[in-house]
Amino acid sequence: MIWENIKLAFSSMKVNKMRTLLSLLGIIIGVGAVVAILTLGNSATASISSSISAGGLEMVSIFPASGQKSSETFDEQFCETLKSSVDGIDFVLPVNTGTSKLRNGQKTTNAQISGVPSNYAALLNYEAEAGSFFSQNDNLLKRQVCVLGSDIANELFPDGNAVGQYVSIFRTQAKSYQVVGVMKSKDPLLSIMFDNFVYIPYNTFTQRFRKVSMVGSYVVRTSDDADPIKVGDSITNYLNALVGKDAYDLFSPATLAEMSKSITSTFSNFLAAIAAISLLVGGIGIMNIMLVSVSERTREIGVRKALGATNRDIMGQFITEAVALTMVGGFFGIVVGTAISVAVTNLVSWTLHISYSSYIIAVGFSMIIGLFFGWYPARKAARLDPIESLNYE
Amino acid sequence: MSGNSVIEMVDVRRYFIVGDFVVKALDGITMDIRQGEFVSIMGPSGSGKSTMMNMIGCLDRPTSGIIRIDGTNTTEFSERDLAYVRNEKIGFVFQQFNLLGKLSALDNVMTPLLYARISPRERKEIAIEALERVGLGERMKHRPNELSGGQKQRVAIARALVNNPSLILADEPTGALDTKTGNQIMELFEQLNAEGRTIVLVTHNRELGMACRRQILIRDGRLED
Repeated sequence: MIWENIKLAFSSMKVNKMRTLLSLLGIIIGVGAVVAILTLGNSATASISSSISAGGLEMVSIFPASGQKSSETFDEQFCETLKSSVDGIDFVLPVNTGTSKLRNGQKTTNAQISGVPSNYAALLNYEAEAGSFFSQNDNLLKRQVCVLGSDIANELFPDGNAVGQYVSIFRTQAKSYQVVGVMKSKDPLLSIMFDNFVYIPYNTFTQRFRKVSMVGSYVVRTSDDADPIKVGDSITNYLNALVGKDAYDLFSPATLAEMSKSITSTFSNFLAAIAAISLLVGGIGIMNIMLVSVSERTREIGVRKALGATNRDIMGQFITEAVALTMVGGFFGIVVGTAISVAVTNLVSWTLHISYSSYIIAVGFSMIIGLFFGWYPARKAARLDPIESLNYE
Repeated sequence: MSGNSVIEMVDVRRYFIVGDFVVKALDGITMDIRQGEFVSIMGPSGSGKSTMMNMIGCLDRPTSGIIRIDGTNTTEFSERDLAYVRNEKIGFVFQQFNLLGKLSALDNVMTPLLYARISPRERKEIAIEALERVGLGERMKHRPNELSGGQKQRVAIARALVNNPSLILADEPTGALDTKTGNQIMELFEQLNAEGRTIVLVTHNRELGMACRRQILIRDGRLED
C-alpha cells in the first residue's frame, strides 16, 4: 500500500513538474540554507582550530602588565619558580621584545628585536639556515651578536652571505651587531612571527639595548602528557593567587581554539535555527499546493471511495504525497546546500568538512514538515463526501 | 430468478433539508433484487433514482428504513464498514467512466484489489483476467486518454468485475457513448448477466431500461407499478 502510494505521489509530481518545483522552492531554500550553514560552520571551526593549533596548542604565553607587583615578581628567575610551582610544564623561556630600525649599508628595515636565552631556538625547534643560533657564552658575555629571521635576512642581505656581516640596530644610537646565524622560515607560533624577528642574547638586550626591570613575556611549553587547557588554567590560578589577575595577560591557543570552536558552533547553530524558520514558510507552500491538489482531484477521491477506499486509505495517499514532496525538496536542498558549501570553502580556501548530521537533520525536518503540513489537506481529502466528489466538475 | 436477495430495502426514506424545506428524495421504498437479476431503475430526473443508486451503492445512508446487502443490514454501518461493502460487494460503472487518468488500464482495474489488500502479484493476475474478459487484453498498458469511449467503459466494467462483487451498479453506462458502442456495452452486460452476475442499471432512457429483464420505476421518491 505504502509502495503504491509512493508511486502515485511521484507520478502526480511528474504531471506538473514546474508547479512541483515552485512549490518545493521554500523547502529547497530552507534545507539548502541549513545544510550550507552547518557545513560552513563545521569547516570554519575546523580551519580556525587548525590555524590556531598550527600556532602550537602546547604553548602558553604570559605577558606581565606594568605595575609594582608585576615588576617585583616577573624577573628571569620566575621561569624556574613557575616551572616548579605548576605541574605539566616542560620549560619556560623569558623573552624581551622591542621594535627597532635595522640597517645594512643603504638598506633599512623595521624589526622586532627579541632578547632570548641561547636555548630558545633548540627548545622551539627553530632551525638555522646558515651559521647557528648564538651560544650560551654569547649570552653570558653579553656579546653584540644577532640572529636574523628569514624575512629580515632577505631584506637586508638579498644576496645571502649574511653570516659574519654586521648590521646596525638603532635605539637611541646605532649599535653594530655581528650576524652569527640566519634562521629557516618558520610558521608563526603563539603569534610570534619568527621570520620578522631579530634575536639577540637575553643579557645583551637587558644591558645594552634596553634596561628592563621585568621580563616582557614568558613562553611556556606544556608537557606532552599534560592537557594544555588544564595547564593554562593551573597557571592562571597560580598567578591570580600570586599577583592578581590585573598583573598579567595569559594567552593559550588551546583555550582559544576551544573558545572559538564553541563560538562558531553556537553561531552556526543559531543561524541554522533561523534558516529552519524558512522551512516553516516552505511548509506553508506545501500545504497550499496540497490543498490545490486535493480540490483538483476531488473526483478522483470520489472514485477511489466508490471503489472501496476508506478515509484512512485516502489520508494515507495524500500524507504520503506531501511527505514524498518535502523529501524531494529536502534532497534538492541537500544538493544545493552542499554545492554552496563547496563553492564558499573553495573561495575562502577552507577545507570542506561536510556536516553529515545536517543531512540527517534536513531529511528529518523535511519529513516532519511533510507530515505536519500535509496532514490538514489529507484529512480534508479523506473527509470528502463520496457522492459530492463523484459529481464534482 | 429465485436466487438469494442481493439488495433488500424496507421502507427506506432519505430526506434532505434544504433551507426551510424537507426534500423527500426517497419516501418509503420497499423492494428486493435477487441474485442473477438484470434490473433497471428508471425515472425522470429528480425522481430520486440517483439517491436510490447511492443507497444501493452504499455511498449514502437512509434517514430511516433498512437496507440489507447479501442479507446483512448495513444501515448502522460505519464509514469504514461501508467502504468495505463498496469494495467487496459493489462494482460501480459510471456514465463518465471515472477512470483514474494517470494510471494505465491495468492499474485502474487493479485499484479495487489494492483497497482489498490483495498481494501485488495476485492483483495483476486477476486484473489481467478481468481485462481479457471485457476484450481489452491488448490495451492494458494504455492510459485512459489513449482509449476510445467504448474501450474506457470496458476498462470501467473490468474494474467493476475485478472484485467479484455481488452486484454491478451501472449509472447511465451508455450515456456518453454513441448508439453503436452503447449497444455493444449493453451486449456485454447481457453476457455478464448470462454468466450469473447481478446487474442494476440506473437510467432515464426508457428504451435502455426496457431492454433489462425487470424494471423498477421511480417517481417522486416512490415506486410506480
